[in-house]
Amino acid sequence: MVVGDFAQDVQTVIIGAGPGGYVAAIRAAQLGQEVFLIEKELTGGVCLNWGCIPTKAMIEVSGLKAHLEKASEMGITVKEIRVDLAKLHSWKAGIVQRLRNGVETLLQKNGVELIRGEAIFSEPGKLMVESERGIQRVSYENVIIATGSRPIELADLPFDGATIIDSNAAIELKEPPEHLLVVGAGSVGIELGTVYRNLGSEVTIIETQETLLPWIDPEISRVLQRSIKKAGIDLKLGSRITATESNNGRVSMTIQQNGKKQLLDADKVLIAIGRRPNTDGMGLRELGLQTDDRGFIQVNQKMQTNLAGVYAIGDVVAGPMLAHRASHMGKIAAEVISGEPAAFDNVVVPGVIFSSLEIASVGLTEQQATEQGYSVKAGVFPFRALGRAMTLGEADGVTKVISDADSGTVLGVHIIGSHASDLIAEGGLAVESGAHVDDLSLTIHAHPTLTEGIMEAAEDIEHKAIHIFNPPVKK
Amino acid sequence: MKFVFRLPDVGEGIHEAEVINYEVAVGDAVQADQVVIKVETDKAVVTLPSPVTGTVLETPLNPGDIVEVGGALIVLEAEGDSELTVSENDQLAEVAASKSKKKADKSIPVIAGMETPLSPIQAKRVLATPHTRHLARRLGIDISTVSGTGRAGRVTDDDVHRAAETGPAVSTGHQRSSLVGHDATSAGFDFEKYGPTQREPLKGIRKRIAEVMVRSYTTIPHVTHADEADITDLMNVVRSQKPAAEARGIKLTLTTFLTKAVVAALKQFPDLNASIDDGAGEIVFKNYFHIGIATDTEHGLMVPVVQNADQKSVLQIARDIQQLAEKARNREIDLDELRGGTFTITNPGVIGGIHATPIIQHPQVAILATLAARKRPVVRDDEIVIRTMMPMVIAFDHRLIDGATGARFMNYIISLLQDPMKMMLDMV
Repeated sequence: MVVGDFAQDVQTVIIGAGPGGYVAAIRAAQLGQEVFLIEKELTGGVCLNWGCIPTKAMIEVSGLKAHLEKASEMGITVKEIRVDLAKLHSWKAGIVQRLRNGVETLLQKNGVELIRGEAIFSEPGKLMVESERGIQRVSYENVIIATGSRPIELADLPFDGATIIDSNAAIELKEPPEHLLVVGAGSVGIELGTVYRNLGSEVTIIETQETLLPWIDPEISRVLQRSIKKAGIDLKLGSRITATESNNGRVSMTIQQNGKKQLLDADKVLIAIGRRPNTDGMGLRELGLQTDDRGFIQVNQKMQTNLAGVYAIGDVVAGPMLAHRASHMGKIAAEVISGEPAAFDNVVVPGVIFSSLEIASVGLTEQQATEQGYSVKAGVFPFRALGRAMTLGEADGVTKVISDADSGTVLGVHIIGSHASDLIAEGGLAVESGAHVDDLSLTIHAHPTLTEGIMEAAEDIEHKAIHIFNPPVKK
Repeated sequence: MKFVFRLPDVGEGIHEAEVINYEVAVGDAVQADQVVIKVETDKAVVTLPSPVTGTVLETPLNPGDIVEVGGALIVLEAEGDSELTVSENDQLAEVAASKSKKKADKSIPVIAGMETPLSPIQAKRVLATPHTRHLARRLGIDISTVSGTGRAGRVTDDDVHRAAETGPAVSTGHQRSSLVGHDATSAGFDFEKYGPTQREPLKGIRKRIAEVMVRSYTTIPHVTHADEADITDLMNVVRSQKPAAEARGIKLTLTTFLTKAVVAALKQFPDLNASIDDGAGEIVFKNYFHIGIATDTEHGLMVPVVQNADQKSVLQIARDIQQLAEKARNREIDLDELRGGTFTITNPGVIGGIHATPIIQHPQVAILATLAARKRPVVRDDEIVIRTMMPMVIAFDHRLIDGATGARFMNYIISLLQDPMKMMLDMV
């Protein structure tokens, strides 16, 4: 690698080696582009190192513990369950390390040059990479901005890394907090709140909005709310923080809920109120790149920004901040650079939350479909009517299929329950392909599996589900 | 402000019009709703009123010019900006939209459609698999302009390939129709090689007829069934009642009674009043009876429709037929009066003939042709008598109607025509 004053010419520079950037790099290399991938921290980005992967490892472990605690009716009595968080962390770190190595090996094999450092645009077509070893200048034909996002701070409760923490710190706690106060009932708050509740912490989640995950089908969020309560998490919807005080590693917080004041005392406060795009401090504005007032970069279906040769993908583009969306956008940007006819014309991006029950959703909810002028027919099927759910000891949950009554087209699939995150793939394929509900109900689903819930929910649209009672239709 | 009045989208199928003449000239003051131009669409001559009050600045077209939907018809200096708030003027919105689009194109050349942010969920979408959508992009086809032949309008790979083959016409939003769907056209045929010719553009009504006939004939497996009716008694009724009708300014004809007989028969045989919905794969039985009457005009065949013929008296039907035919001949007929027919009657008999093979008007499933009624010797009770006999031919869609049904339908009509008293019973 050359470090110095003269610039290296490269066809494609990608800034950020997260699930958007590294996927874009591999696809670009597959298509024969010469690729530089710039990363200031760790390959794999937030998702691999601090997000999707490590949190899922913790959810699995904490869920296993919760499961074992309930296993006596299945005939397993466990005398004592001890959680060794240090051991958990090292197991989790091992997984992350293996995946990171895998990504780096793939990048290397594809001939992608990985440059460690921070990218700053100097002028159109040129940027500098700053690292401990100095400054490297790169001139590019195309650049893909894939710099991701970071947690939003609460002005009154700035992160201190010890008591007031973000999600990155929350997955590295040495021991379960005595009382974890989670601010924000989004996916991060719910997932990490569930982890520490299962690991023995007292957990309180406060949320300003009156409804839990308002963008989710109400039938689904009702089940979620019940399961959160059942797990012993104190969920306080519609509450506002009115005062905070921190001393000696503890935080006292006064909140107002339904006009009533309450005082909460916690040893850890997780701020999970959302994430903001990393589009500042890189000289993007000076370059003339258009961003909206929240800092998101505006792109078209080809991931092109208002500047020729500048592309943006992933969390820096307004929309759901999800790794799989970033990866898909990354492939599109790389293909467009190679002149391929790619475009982000996707109908759905699946949404997944790993709570004590998993939630997964594609497409329109009943309400959204009605608002868009469809005449909606919905079918619902409960997990408790599935043999497989019973044998898993996971009878809570619901599968819901939303369809257009006029054409029979599947508009949305929403699942809460065990393995919902895996089950949703069928729904994604159905909605993306414009399948008919009959395509779901007339496809043979293996028995006994949880996938039967999708088949039965599709049948329920015409009141023909077998395993729940549907009164005969009068002719 | 300057206002460009564009050819509005008057409805399904009509995508271009031929200019007949301007009713105003440059410099004229024009009131809102005042007719400014007369154009001929595929079916009729239409006068178009100005959506705004103002002064004519430009009349860019000449008689005979073809203008497409959205094309500029006339440019006016509209009075004041307040006109912009007149909400019913779609054209205004259209102009504004096309203007703002152009502006956006200029300022950001790289990006089209950047104003619409990415949304994970789109409203009413093009129904197609990700593979088909990708195929369309690869072939440079805007999939939203491709009409899908699959269930519920799904766009298939074949549809995309077809759209790609018909070339750039598709990307402009509508297909330039080829009269036949395959290669057997006479395009490029050297007629002049064999003798002198003269050429005229195939346009207007002629073109529309050609398109409709090709669609009907290539879509529908036609079967014809012929018979004859003894209309001696019926003709006596027509003759005897004619003066009474004429006193009311109504011309009573055999077609009037035939229409009544057909409606009575359609009620007995609902299959013949049905249609096939290819998209939904369903048979549509219509609970209304709109009877098309094929009318010969100097511009070509037109088929005005007598609406709700089942609810009308003989005289009302006679008056409808008379008025519609007159409007059709004068090119004053509304498009709505040419649409929605459920069954068609054609009467080449007025010109002559003993047999015909009529073409069904898609998506209808049957058409009845009556031929020249003549006095003929026929056998009645083993005796030869002179009766007025009218040959009739029915063509029907064999996808939906079998020969036996078609024949029974015909028999029923004949039984009514032969016995005016029976017809009267069925008419009420």
